[in-house]
Amino acid sequence: MKLVAKKDISECLSAWSSTYSILCPTLKEQGERVYDTFDPATFTLEYRKLPMPLKSSFLPQSEVIFTIENGNFTPVLNEGRMLIFGIRACDLMGIRQSRSFFGRDLDDRYFRAYAENTILVVHACSLPQNETCFCTTTKSGPYAKQGFDIQLFDMGNDFLVEAGSDIGRELTSSRHFVDFDDVDAQERFSKIKHMAHNSIPVVPEVTEAIDFLKDSSANDGVWNHLGSKCIACGGCVYVCPTCTCFNVIDSATTKEDGERIRTWDTCLYGGFTKEASGHNPRSSQALRLKRRHEHKLLYYNKTDIQDALCGCVGCGRCSDYCPVHIGTLEVTKAIVDHIY
Amino acid sequence: MAGLAATFGSGAMTNSINEFEDADLFLVTGSNTIEQHPLIGIRMINAIEEKGSKLILIDPRETPLSSFAKIHLRPNIGTDVALFNGFMNIIISEELYDKDFVETRTEGFDALKTLLSRYNPKVVEQITGIRSSDLYHAAVMYAQTDKAMIVYAMGITQHISGTDNVKTLANLSMLTGHLGKPSTGVNPLRGQNNVQGACDMGGLPGVFTGYQRVNDPATTKKFEDAWGVTGLDTKPGLTITGMINAAHSGGLKALYVMGENPFMSDPDTTHVEQALSNLDFLIVQDIFLTDTATLADVILPAASFAEKDGTFTNTERRVQLSRKACSPPGQARADWEIITEIMKRCGVKSPYRGTEDIMQEINRLTPSYAGITYSRLSKGYGLQWPCPNEDHPGTVFLHRDQFTKGKGTFLPCEYKPADELPDEEYTFTLTTGRISYQYHTGTMTRRINILEREAPEPLLEINPEDAKKLGIRNNDKVEVQSRRGTIEIKAEVTPRVPKQVLFTTFHFREAPVNKLTNPAFDPIAEIPELKVCSVKIRRCS
Repeated sequence: MKLVAKKDISECLSAWSSTYSILCPTLKEQGERVYDTFDPATFTLEYRKLPMPLKSSFLPQSEVIFTIENGNFTPVLNEGRMLIFGIRACDLMGIRQSRSFFGRDLDDRYFRAYAENTILVVHACSLPQNETCFCTTTKSGPYAKQGFDIQLFDMGNDFLVEAGSDIGRELTSSRHFVDFDDVDAQERFSKIKHMAHNSIPVVPEVTEAIDFLKDSSANDGVWNHLGSKCIACGGCVYVCPTCTCFNVIDSATTKEDGERIRTWDTCLYGGFTKEASGHNPRSSQALRLKRRHEHKLLYYNKTDIQDALCGCVGCGRCSDYCPVHIGTLEVTKAIVDHIY
Repeated sequence: MAGLAATFGSGAMTNSINEFEDADLFLVTGSNTIEQHPLIGIRMINAIEEKGSKLILIDPRETPLSSFAKIHLRPNIGTDVALFNGFMNIIISEELYDKDFVETRTEGFDALKTLLSRYNPKVVEQITGIRSSDLYHAAVMYAQTDKAMIVYAMGITQHISGTDNVKTLANLSMLTGHLGKPSTGVNPLRGQNNVQGACDMGGLPGVFTGYQRVNDPATTKKFEDAWGVTGLDTKPGLTITGMINAAHSGGLKALYVMGENPFMSDPDTTHVEQALSNLDFLIVQDIFLTDTATLADVILPAASFAEKDGTFTNTERRVQLSRKACSPPGQARADWEIITEIMKRCGVKSPYRGTEDIMQEINRLTPSYAGITYSRLSKGYGLQWPCPNEDHPGTVFLHRDQFTKGKGTFLPCEYKPADELPDEEYTFTLTTGRISYQYHTGTMTRRINILEREAPEPLLEINPEDAKKLGIRNNDKVEVQSRRGTIEIKAEVTPRVPKQVLFTTFHFREAPVNKLTNPAFDPIAEIPELKVCSVKIRRCS
């Protein structure tokens, strides 16, 4: 293992930026923090859970996937090399789950072109980022067990550095990274991880709700009630690290030429499941909400969830941002409480 | 706007969006708040669900708010004045009005009382179709709840009695003292992101910025001095309704339309088309080629919101700074640049180097915007007018200790029926509105694939009992005819609409509903009666 001083991180990023385009936490004019292109002037290590989970780096909100010009088909594949610095463990798990999904039955080469060209530097959490974090319940944090190139653990003025891949080891071989292999290094490392893990309370309602759903003992009244107040804004899907549904549009630029675009989509919209006949198997907002949450908590694919609990990675953003308070925490609580 | 200005002296939402979180009661009328003003709708939902706040909904049609309503009154369309006069009749006879507020803060109570005596619950039931017992419960609930907000939108204003409807709501709020305090007031929800700003900036025929009247000599002199000109016109100009009529009759020769699509949005499309074709010169400035622009002699491509600097003023009077994120495509330019280029070609040198210069002029000439500067706006999340100087924090709610005009004036209004009532030939009432997934005439939203998937075509809502009688089934094509035109449209059979009422939207050029609507207008605000016209309907063979 190694150590790196926090004050040297900006210099490391500057050095890496000759090879990679770098996304990292940045501080904006009015105090907001978002992942954005590295700039020493706005780069910050003072950040908590950021509003968006970085899935757009792998599945852009809108992207041209191929063009047709003079009758010739040309796929548009990402070729740029990217380094994402400061990603949280829950979001990394979201990317791992999505990568499995996009490669399991069919190879989604557009997603893969981003994933294979991206270096991931995880910033492990030593404390909950806010009151909605439940990664210890979903087994997706507060630190990553695999799937990263570099992982940083907070040690005050320094980060303890764990390399997770050959590229990670190579990137941490510069002079800023000093060896940290004395006798009690492993012990301190275990202790940090242990303390971090214990700092984030387990939410028993989440696992209990999963059991209820498995036994089909969840009350449909829950969905009817939540469905009546869902305004179908799609915000929960927008911020969810594992929501990756997309729509495909063909756009003609001339009579012969055109492009195919894919954009984010959501199962919370009626048109998502509406059939050509006009019939909609998810005919109400209650059924659409039920489908979305059951997909996360019950009908996930065993391979896709990697070593986590389910298809939800416990980041808590849906609970942070849903304007009418229908996040995973509220949904699972409603299922367990049987209040409707 | 005109109704609130007459009663209170200020024509804007009295209270603020965050105050919805703390209200104990919402009286929502003529507003589909969840679908059309979701940021306000969600605050209502949370207050109702988590705090036990109550909702009185007044809307002939069911909307997503209906399931949250303690009381949902579905009056005959166009009977709002009678309905709210009925509220006030009950409140006075039950002695539930705020005597202290009425005495100290208002004038004209006796005249109101005299008029209201003619609106006892039985009379009101005859006019509105609302059972007197339901009316009683709603009136008492509103009067007895302290933090009670009145919320309305186009369902109140798009009537020949639009101004009277607003005055009557203002009377109701003053009578109960639900004004000048947090989580109360009369709250018109503006239907576009910057329509409040457009009005504030003098985009109305009779005023300069900040509602300073053109027929006030001192005001005119102030603007003449600031602009270095003389002879500014002191006569109010024409409203949109007036312009279209003047173009039709030949009195108006040239029209410059910016960011508006009257060919689709104004009533009686045939009349509008004749009027626009009758012009010698039509200029359209927009971000896309609208239906109106296809008739234009000159089209000026404008920049979209993300391609320019400037401010927007939202429904709660909050001015917010918007910064350019990317350059406009092709020849498109920011509106202010286009206008200053035209000034230059007219031989006037533009004094503006950028939008901040324009804001500084607004600050100098507009008392309510005097303290709203770019440097302050760039530091926070906007400022709410009135904000009379740079140290002023802005105004969360209006009329705290006194009304803008001093005392609030009760302006009693008599009920007047809608211009067109159903008769033997045109037996149905058609009303129009918007849905979540499309916006106005679709200039922007109809280009968005997923929105088109969600709402791809116009649908006409018809009550199941009416549909059965006429042999109309879901998705059947029907012909709808008014005295002005005919459209064909697919039917959606749904209890959302009451019997004898049809509803559709004005988003779709495939079934341009404004071919049918009635251009009769409110005599003061000149807003057309888009919410009521009489039609007949038959299934297409």
